[in-house]
Amino acid sequence: MTPDLIYGLTGIAVFAIGLTGALCAQDRLRRVLALKLCSLGAGFLLVVAAWREPPAAPDPVPHALVITGIVVMISATAVALALIRRLQSLEAEDDD
Amino acid sequence: MTDPFLILDLLLAGAVIALAIATLTARDLFAAIVLFIVLGLLSALAWVRLSAPDVALAEAAIGTGVTGALLLKTLHHLRYVAGTLGEQAAHGVTPVTPVPMSVIWANAAFCGLITLGLAIAFLDAPLGGPGFDALVADAMPASGVDHGVTAVLLNFRSYDTLMEVVVLLAAVIAVWQIERGLSEAPAPDLSVIWQGFARLTLPAIVVVGTYLLWKGSEAPGGAFQGGAVLAAVGILLLLSRLYVPHPSHRALARWGFVLGTGVFAGVALLVTGGGRVTFEYPPEHAKTLILLIEGLVTVSIAVTLAALFHGREPVALRAKEAGHDA
Amino acid sequence: MTIDAMTLTLFLPLFGAMAAFVLPRAATGIGLVTVLATCGAVWLLALEVLKAGAVITPLGGWEAPLGIALRADGLSLAMLAMTSGVGLLVSLGALNALRDLRQRQYFWPLWLLLLTGMNGVYLGTDIFNLYVMIEVIALAAVGLTVLSGTKEALRAGLEYMYASILGALLFLMGVGFVYLHLGRLDFAGLLEAEPSGALSAALALMLVGLLLKTALFPLHFWLPAAHANATAPASALLSGLVVKAALYIFLRLTTYMPLPDEILVTLIGALGAGAVLWGGVQALRAERLKLLVAWSTVVQIGLIFIAFARAGQVGLTESWKAAALLILAHGVAKAAMFLAAGRIKDELGHDIIRDLDKSNIRPTLAQFTFALAAISIIGLPPSLGFIGKWTLMEGAMAAGYWHWVVVTMIGTLLSVAYFSRVFAGFLRFDRVRAPVGEHQGWALADVAPLTLAIASISLGLMAAPILSFLELGYALGVMP
Repeated sequence: MTPDLIYGLTGIAVFAIGLTGALCAQDRLRRVLALKLCSLGAGFLLVVAAWREPPAAPDPVPHALVITGIVVMISATAVALALIRRLQSLEAEDDD
Repeated sequence: MTDPFLILDLLLAGAVIALAIATLTARDLFAAIVLFIVLGLLSALAWVRLSAPDVALAEAAIGTGVTGALLLKTLHHLRYVAGTLGEQAAHGVTPVTPVPMSVIWANAAFCGLITLGLAIAFLDAPLGGPGFDALVADAMPASGVDHGVTAVLLNFRSYDTLMEVVVLLAAVIAVWQIERGLSEAPAPDLSVIWQGFARLTLPAIVVVGTYLLWKGSEAPGGAFQGGAVLAAVGILLLLSRLYVPHPSHRALARWGFVLGTGVFAGVALLVTGGGRVTFEYPPEHAKTLILLIEGLVTVSIAVTLAALFHGREPVALRAKEAGHDA
Repeated sequence: MTIDAMTLTLFLPLFGAMAAFVLPRAATGIGLVTVLATCGAVWLLALEVLKAGAVITPLGGWEAPLGIALRADGLSLAMLAMTSGVGLLVSLGALNALRDLRQRQYFWPLWLLLLTGMNGVYLGTDIFNLYVMIEVIALAAVGLTVLSGTKEALRAGLEYMYASILGALLFLMGVGFVYLHLGRLDFAGLLEAEPSGALSAALALMLVGLLLKTALFPLHFWLPAAHANATAPASALLSGLVVKAALYIFLRLTTYMPLPDEILVTLIGALGAGAVLWGGVQALRAERLKLLVAWSTVVQIGLIFIAFARAGQVGLTESWKAAALLILAHGVAKAAMFLAAGRIKDELGHDIIRDLDKSNIRPTLAQFTFALAAISIIGLPPSLGFIGKWTLMEGAMAAGYWHWVVVTMIGTLLSVAYFSRVFAGFLRFDRVRAPVGEHQGWALADVAPLTLAIASISLGLMAAPILSFLELGYALGVMP
């Protein structure tokens, strides 16, 4: 057993948990969290794919890809959260 | 004999999965967000174990740190709007009709099947390669930097990185557009001690951010991690009200957002000619150009992440508009 | 500094977007000039492709697979030309449609970023880069969806955002699996790969992600509300252009990574058939004009996938051309239709189909434009839509797949039925006794949609050159 095997399966599990959540969750904020889990799972997979048995150094390309993925994901999250905030304010206004 | 580290790996993996489930099942949203932050930090730890310190830094700083701050700010806003700030627990913030358990189980079974398929595909994979290892090793001497990830991000695949900064720019434009004229929930009361803490720690964080950026060319670190750490400065300034965005700062902020992208794209174009294509830095200037791009991109990332946290464009709310939105 | 046409196509809209954002007062002028200049860059690139077949630029001087190469061939150029051409006319249409200063300020940077993302997709040859590009598109598109700021638009925009993120993440997971098995991410690598079960899993992940983004039934749930509630120019861009980016990646991927089984091709066609039938029925029931047009997009997306599957797995080497023709036809006609629908709504103050004929205002030219665009969407000769549908049915008949012909015919009948509801509203039959008001029946703002509608018909006469252009540079042939 090697770390890449353990964490690879972990990543797939986290992705699937996120996917389930994204399909089931009703609360707007929770759906964002679920999507974040999916992205974390995908990150795990790429980091694992880059891993090489020490002393060999890992492949830097997937590392760069994950960093890009993290930045892309926070951008998407920020937009989704802004939509949620605005929408909630508009809906609260109607109730008054 | 079993490697003691493997036991750590197994424990960590178990904790990550348990936290992922807990994040989605926690009844209290505040707890869910905190669980998510812990999950992110543990994942970063796992990635250190997988010899990916750059990624771990980025995940801890951006994927967990700044994202966590964004989530908590949003939760605060939602509870303020709903008038439930005073209540102990933060249950769902959107009115929901409960999902029947049967649907949940059907979805879970469906996702379980997908997991099974993916797990089989994963176990089938030739772990430990093939990859770009050899190609990167060959190209490193000509990249102008000594650190693999930096070389990939800012030279070999700099086009991806430019577009990633463009995504960030698109996000801040979209957020300003969405939230324009939205009045802000009053920030939570922070004590004098907090403000003092902010004043004391800010210079230290700036130093850390700059150091990360500087180290990026030869060791883990770089524009994104450095930018995130500097963004933390911005978030602290905003939270402690040491800095209050003013409408007159708008133009400067806009320039701040596009600075990194503009310089990055500009350099990519300026180096062309004489047989060189877009993004092809002349080897003798590669290091200088990469440092220049990295530095300015860091500034833009920091400003943009802080602005994403702040959310709305700082405009003067007319009395009517302000009342309308509150 | 010598910049090639391909780089210009990508960087012009990017710099335009930045300029329009930092100089909000000049946004409109900057935007128009940029889109016009981008059209020029695409034109230059087209000349190169006509001469050389396929043009390749290895960015940074790093050859793929380590670096990322841009590549233009007939298909990518057809997409680029549609995007910039339609984009230019929609931009002109936006001059009038966006009266609010705030909307204008944000429309231009977002639309130019959208253009950057779409051009990047059509020139891209690296699957991770495509992931980043579809995210650029997604964020800009969501920004445009909610430009009007109404609650309905925001709700639709949020659903769109969730679907978009999930689609992109499925795609990213697929990219991860491709790297795991192949160790590279460029199209050439995909083409050389030995097919394996694991690669099929990767392909499945990516394709489902793309289907979610392009809104193929039953993953279309987010589309009608998002497209119907956006402001007219945004709807035209979203419906005419944005969904095509994911469709294009779908076509490329299925060429380089062949679908492992015939049954999958049939399944994709069946989903297309579902879209045609379900979308058609929903369009019949729609109460608002823009919603009807949005549902017709769901139908048309389904039709494109039927074209893809028309002759089964063996036919894929030819079927993509039928799909590409329908993509182009829909892009032009749907943009015209949404702009015209926006004009009608502007003049009448509402877009309730039942009350279209009760008004004493008659925006005649906008109604005429709408009808012209409908001709292409229904697929009547000589429009480009007709050529596309005809190519679809011809291929299906040649392969003996009569079921696709039947579905296409039913879809055509349904579209005649739901557009007739609108036409009936255009003809007044004097339900209103009051004289037709002061309105002249036309305005300068009608010129852009009318040009698009005329193009959607007349491009049908140029079908032969378009088809031969699509094949330039082995677009989806052997070479990547």
